[in-house]
Amino acid sequence: MALSKEQYQAFEAIVGPENISDDPVDLDAWAWRSGQAAMAQDFKPRFEAILMPASPAEVQSIVRLCNKTGVQFKASSTGWGVYCDAGGPGCVKLDLRRMNRVIEINEENMYAVVEPYVIHAQLQAELMKRGLCCNVNGAGGVTSAMPLAAHEGIGHMSGTCSISERNLLALEWVTPEGEIIQTGSLAALGEWFCADGPGPSLRGIIRGNVVPLGGLGVYTKAAVKIYHWAGPPTMEVKGASPNYVMQNPGNFLLRYLSWPTEEGRSLGIQKLGESEIAFGIMGFNPNMVAANVATSNEEELVLAEQYSKEIVGPGFCVVLMGNSPRDFEYKKAVLEQIIKDTGAASLKAVEEGDVHDAFVWRFIRVTASIRETMRGTGVFGGEVFGTDCYRVMSNFIQHSRVDKQDLIDRGLVYPDNTDPFITSLEQGQLAHSEVLLRWTPAPDVAEAAMEYVGKSNANAVNGHYGLPHHLFNDFQHDFFGPHTSNYTYWLRRIKKSFDPNGVSEASNHITAKDV
Amino acid sequence: MNMVTGSELAKVVGATNVISDSKILDSYAGDLSFVGRIRPEFVAKVDNRQTIMGLVQLAKETATPLVPVSSGGPHFFGDTVPSAGGAVIVDLSGMKKVDLVDPFERVASVIEPGVTFGELIPVVAKAGLRLNMPLQPRATKSVVGSMLSREPVIMPHYHWDIADPIGSTEVVFGTGDMFRTGAAAGPGEIDEQRAAGGRQKEAAGPSAMSLHRLLQGAQGTMGIVTWASARCELIPDREHPYFIASSDLAKLLEAAHWLIRLRLGNELLILNASDVAALFADGDSAYDQLLATLPRWVLFVNLGAYKYLPDMRMDGLIQDTGALLQRLGVQSTQSLGGISAPEFLDAIRRPSAEPYWKLRRDGGCQDIFFLTTSAKIPGLVEAMTDAADRAGYAAAKMGVYVQPIVQGTSCHVEFNLFYDPANTAEAGIVRGLATSAIQPLMNAGAFFSRPFGEAAKQIMNRDAAGVEALKTFKAIVDPAGILNPGKLCF
Amino acid sequence: MPLKDHQADMESCCRCSACKFIPLEKITGQQYSNVCPSISRYNFHSHSGGGRMGFGLGLIRGRVEYGPRAGEVIYNCNLCGACDVSCKYAMEFDVLEPLYAMREGCVQNGQADPAWDKLVKAMEKQAPVTVGSLGKRAEWHKGLKVKDYVTDKAAVVYHAGCLASTDATAGATAKTALSMLIKAGLDVGVATSGEICCGGRSYEMGYRDEAIEQAKRNVARLRASGAQELVTGCAHCYQYYKVLYPKLGLDLGIKVTHVVEKLAELVEQGALKPEKRVDLTVTYHDPCHLGRLSEPWIAWEGVQRERHMRVYDPPRTLRRGTNGVYEPPRELLRSIPGVRLVEMDRVKEYAWCCGAGGGVRETNPEFAAWTAGERLQEAESTGAEALVTACPHCARNLSGGDSALKVLDVVEILNKAI
Repeated sequence: MALSKEQYQAFEAIVGPENISDDPVDLDAWAWRSGQAAMAQDFKPRFEAILMPASPAEVQSIVRLCNKTGVQFKASSTGWGVYCDAGGPGCVKLDLRRMNRVIEINEENMYAVVEPYVIHAQLQAELMKRGLCCNVNGAGGVTSAMPLAAHEGIGHMSGTCSISERNLLALEWVTPEGEIIQTGSLAALGEWFCADGPGPSLRGIIRGNVVPLGGLGVYTKAAVKIYHWAGPPTMEVKGASPNYVMQNPGNFLLRYLSWPTEEGRSLGIQKLGESEIAFGIMGFNPNMVAANVATSNEEELVLAEQYSKEIVGPGFCVVLMGNSPRDFEYKKAVLEQIIKDTGAASLKAVEEGDVHDAFVWRFIRVTASIRETMRGTGVFGGEVFGTDCYRVMSNFIQHSRVDKQDLIDRGLVYPDNTDPFITSLEQGQLAHSEVLLRWTPAPDVAEAAMEYVGKSNANAVNGHYGLPHHLFNDFQHDFFGPHTSNYTYWLRRIKKSFDPNGVSEASNHITAKDV
Repeated sequence: MNMVTGSELAKVVGATNVISDSKILDSYAGDLSFVGRIRPEFVAKVDNRQTIMGLVQLAKETATPLVPVSSGGPHFFGDTVPSAGGAVIVDLSGMKKVDLVDPFERVASVIEPGVTFGELIPVVAKAGLRLNMPLQPRATKSVVGSMLSREPVIMPHYHWDIADPIGSTEVVFGTGDMFRTGAAAGPGEIDEQRAAGGRQKEAAGPSAMSLHRLLQGAQGTMGIVTWASARCELIPDREHPYFIASSDLAKLLEAAHWLIRLRLGNELLILNASDVAALFADGDSAYDQLLATLPRWVLFVNLGAYKYLPDMRMDGLIQDTGALLQRLGVQSTQSLGGISAPEFLDAIRRPSAEPYWKLRRDGGCQDIFFLTTSAKIPGLVEAMTDAADRAGYAAAKMGVYVQPIVQGTSCHVEFNLFYDPANTAEAGIVRGLATSAIQPLMNAGAFFSRPFGEAAKQIMNRDAAGVEALKTFKAIVDPAGILNPGKLCF
Repeated sequence: MPLKDHQADMESCCRCSACKFIPLEKITGQQYSNVCPSISRYNFHSHSGGGRMGFGLGLIRGRVEYGPRAGEVIYNCNLCGACDVSCKYAMEFDVLEPLYAMREGCVQNGQADPAWDKLVKAMEKQAPVTVGSLGKRAEWHKGLKVKDYVTDKAAVVYHAGCLASTDATAGATAKTALSMLIKAGLDVGVATSGEICCGGRSYEMGYRDEAIEQAKRNVARLRASGAQELVTGCAHCYQYYKVLYPKLGLDLGIKVTHVVEKLAELVEQGALKPEKRVDLTVTYHDPCHLGRLSEPWIAWEGVQRERHMRVYDPPRTLRRGTNGVYEPPRELLRSIPGVRLVEMDRVKEYAWCCGAGGGVRETNPEFAAWTAGERLQEAESTGAEALVTACPHCARNLSGGDSALKVLDVVEILNKAI
């Protein structure tokens, strides 16, 4: 359903002629989907037009026009995820690239305010100059720093820098009906330090473990909690792409530890959390470590084989940051103790020198996720589980890995072993786990990957493990709803109440069908 | 008005659980705040979810307001006093179960609303855990009630999110439906989830909503919570509490910022002399004596080292904080006014002894509290002092409690207006001040995130768009408007 | 190579947006973190490396036509290669190569700028490939006593490039460079009767066949000269001779050197002595064609040898800008007494383009000026008094901006010190 001439002109009047296009060139730039989650690569439906608003007022005008005309809209910042695609015809893309300002960095009150197109690498760099840092999404430093853009908002430093759902402070929201709501202290005082109140907090309908994936309006600014940074204001980085190496300021240490059993790893993570020594922690498997370090797939194969000989079982990567020399010595001593007490093996290959220093900076700036996921086979996906206690996260993926092994045995996915990926949040208070697959984007493989996700979902239900985060459509939600407090009923009621005309495109969120 | 009858109630909750004694009803008709007195029709004691669901169903059919109450009295904020006639108090205080404490996952899972801090503290302590709790809650205060109120807690180090320490919850909405928030949503029943390793801990979710945030701060208007989990922290192996005293509040706020930012302390809070005296003195003369020896402002901080090389840790913490305080130009001390730091620590980790510390001095206390940023606090103290002076309240006896929250992103500031309820003149002044101070405080940077009582509507109605959104959600979970009507903007 | 031959690479684009920014590890703040002038100016995703992969696949599949919008987007690109470098930090496919192919498609489908048709035809007649007036080919070295390598033998050929014959500053710089080579005692010659265009720009504009024909003429002339080395001060010509010719399957038969490489060598050998003081704080702009684009061409043809993992037989090595000519110009600047070199944020393999390349200065002067303005602002932020580069196209485009900075070539500063 292409836009009518009148509709196009009406949108053009809002953003200006240089910020709108319905030319196939601009539409196909967005429509190509190389393969992510469990699907083959192909073109997705085209958006009817690409609009680039510059302000909440323009966003509001667009949304109101959509309500008048019945045209749907889907907003995104950098737009990496599958949920940024159109679900079908009749939808315009709100590309928020022009909304890219860091509005405020408040050191005294430990928050930053950003617009949607500020990426984590930019925000982190600005914060570092002031002795601060932020959580960075596991997907990488190239993702939006607004804790409402990415699917989940869990990352390498979530052990100390928490996760987006909990880092979110005040925000500015253009609702699907085109109201502008500012939450908490922002509405009351024009300040960003609190999203909650007066009374109940609207954060509760704005996001949960996952965001509404474009289906509940547009977030135009948000404040995000920030943390102390004990590194230099600017990290000195030598070398040329792809081989950058930070000059270790002397208070950073990285280790990749592994244990013969998952129980050993659980104990290690528990002790790390209780001792509060880790700045960052991420549960890579040996192949992910190899992918991270290697600058090419050829090199990854070599390193994967090398590391697999040394790594004794499930493991994780931990980064220490010392706030003072004493603090650093303490953290190193405790790490040694934990390694000894739990029988961990430390991967020598990444312990020192340029390999070590390069790894630390890649970890902090989160630049190697693309190597770990997309580079190898062109597509990655799998199941992205929930956020909850460590043991249930671990138990679930131990279950799921069996199904991944089956796919490997059938030659349907890349055999990068089945060690599940798990990460510890807020000094071990919570955890998140995933079983990632990498595969060539062929239709038979995509079908098998879908089958895997289906099995995972069935495991989650039958085993009572929890609600995965990888639910990207009505079908998946409806599979879980009846087993999970009928959450779909309430989520749909919220959707319907706040988007009565159904214009905030929700094919990846949940639609208000049957309401 | 359709009024529920006692016999209808009895069919649902059981005859012995329906209370119509006028003395008891009178006790719910008002509290220590200045809200108007409206007597409920009945008190219904409940002890399980099914009963509550039945009660909500009945309330819908008979358009009966329900006012959930989990803590024992005295109540302070007017939220447990009906704002509409014909109400039934839903008394959850008899629900005393603490289902499971897991030291590995650091959680107390499924805590019923009647459990008080005094009851829960020893239970979690057995597992080597402790709660991040508010400052000396009253003995009858419900843990779940406190978490639902978003009461500030005394360990900002572990206060990652304003909702903390709440985990998953189970709630009966005004529709009569039961819902579980967070990880408890499922799949599966609680025992099934636990068999899989779940502990009903994660608060957010399921999926793209976190409805616990709408239950918090709602004063029972969105649902009746039948249990909640709470994340816990470890009990340290070694501790080193101390005070920093100053007449300059700004200096203490700066110290607090760095101590929290560098994660150098666990318990951390700031009190003025009046509040310290209120907490520790017993009797008028003791109060005046103690007050005379105390500095104007006191920052209390407790360093903690866990079982991982605790001596090395503690030595490092002491040295690092020492260096920090020196850079900031402040000094620590181990005692103030005859109160030792360990004594202070012990006191703030317990519920209040009777009488409740805020009532000990004069018998009454009206709290004015809000959130703000640290730079604004000295100005807010000044604004409140001015307002008190103008109203004729003796500002010198006003308590001030500053609690950094959410790892230092904001501060809870609380003015405790101690007064003698029997002194009608003074009571009148305090009542007036509780409302007249709101605007000057807002002008000076106060965000009233938890509005109660007479000023609540004035505060809520400043944000029309937000109110509309809340009403939209309210219409989903309580379309008949039976849950504590008249509170907030409802 | 036809666009469809790049399909497998293009399909790899996952829309991560890394191509829009400098390599993330190098970001030191928000202000100078963008790397793609095209999307920075126009904001549409179609203008980024990744966006071009997307609609490029549309071109292959016939979903998108080579029409006016395609032409507009394809030519509003400096072909600077920054997107390619940023993408290849993590991924392993060519982003830049398909962009050349899209230009060929534009020419084949009548979407090239008409002025370029004229120029490319004129190229055969020794005319310079720059839009605008046709200058006199041999004017730039007037007054210098120098061999004609076409008629006499010379060990080293000095190639000034087309711009030297249409732009006075470029011509003067080329003359200065040549005079330093002569002073250093090199047996150097020029085409005194007039150079011929290297043909590279015509390739970039999409005239592949014409570029190959012109390249063949260059190969014939240079092989016939008997020279062992070609030195040029034009970064574009340097990259074309060194990288493009092998890519087109042509062997020039002689070593290709940029004048800054040669001068650095001569300074190190003591053949040139920068002894006079030049008190100047400078910042250096890395020309794309001397920097990231100048890595030697790697010819590769192979097949994927595993089903899932993208590894090939024979193994595929990508050019990533790692080994561009970055140090020699800096060494030269550091060798000059009194010169203080301060670096911009975006340097070396992730330098911000000057805005001239890819034909943009000719087809969209406003965009070229905008891009230059961004660079000048960045240069000013360093506190430098002069912005120094090693490419006449960069120097010309950056000089047109509204800035108090002097824009100089490395050659000019070195000459002051000799």
